[in-house]
Amino acid sequence: MGKTVLIVDDSTTMRKIVARSLRQAGIDFDEILEAGDGQIALDVLRENSVDIVLSDINMPNMNGLEFLKAKSEDPAIKDIPVIMISTETGADIIDEAKSYGAKGAVKKPFTPDLINDTLGPLL
Amino acid sequence: MEFAKKIVDSTEEIFNTMIFMDISTDGCMSEGQEILFSNVSAMIGLSGNFTAMLSLHCSGYIAMEIAGAMLGMELEEIDADVKDALGEIANMIAGGIKERFASEDIKLELAIPTTVSGKSYSISSPTRSNRVIIPFDLVQGQFFVEMKYSLN
Repeated sequence: MGKTVLIVDDSTTMRKIVARSLRQAGIDFDEILEAGDGQIALDVLRENSVDIVLSDINMPNMNGLEFLKAKSEDPAIKDIPVIMISTETGADIIDEAKSYGAKGAVKKPFTPDLINDTLGPLL
Repeated sequence: MEFAKKIVDSTEEIFNTMIFMDISTDGCMSEGQEILFSNVSAMIGLSGNFTAMLSLHCSGYIAMEIAGAMLGMELEEIDADVKDALGEIANMIAGGIKERFASEDIKLELAIPTTVSGKSYSISSPTRSNRVIIPFDLVQGQFFVEMKYSLN
């Protein structure tokens, strides 16, 4: 059965670039789902079988940290791994993200190789 | 506080890593000079140990060239994709500046970016704010990264 990734970012441009970077890194997903904020991401996770999530932090409505916290409190989706992809990669923010279950972080701007290095071990 | 080098380094990092366009700069624009030919502006606020607004200004043509390079497609109008791409570039430049200030123990938080376009608009800032403008040259033309800041 093929794998599914959910890309969460309020920027449509960045969602396209992340999807392109996954292809350039040679990481093939059968399905790429998208969400524009944390609340939409929670809805997508509850309605679909998703293998991994790549999420921005700085988003309107529900930001990446709020999304992680809400996800960690839902037993049905809490174990789906999340990698943060953000300009916000200071130690304090990443420590908080990891306390809610994030498995790693990729700093924007990023290269396909950096995405591959971070995602590869989780797939 | 050194602003210009952080702006230049952060902007060059993004253009080298994710946009793949060669850019160059001779440094800060002289005081009193005006920005010309700007009809797209992407802006993002920063707050913390100081307050600032980071803006990227360019012509519509340059906005489409930059967004097209970033997305890997040809763009023919200043649509939502162009505005979103410019906003995301401003966000990443501000993120890079934030990270560089953090290494000096100066803490900042980022707001959400906004992009405006039009043939005639002006962006005002508090009269007591300081201003740094860096012009960057591309093969296709020029864009400007501006930081208005006010020390707390």
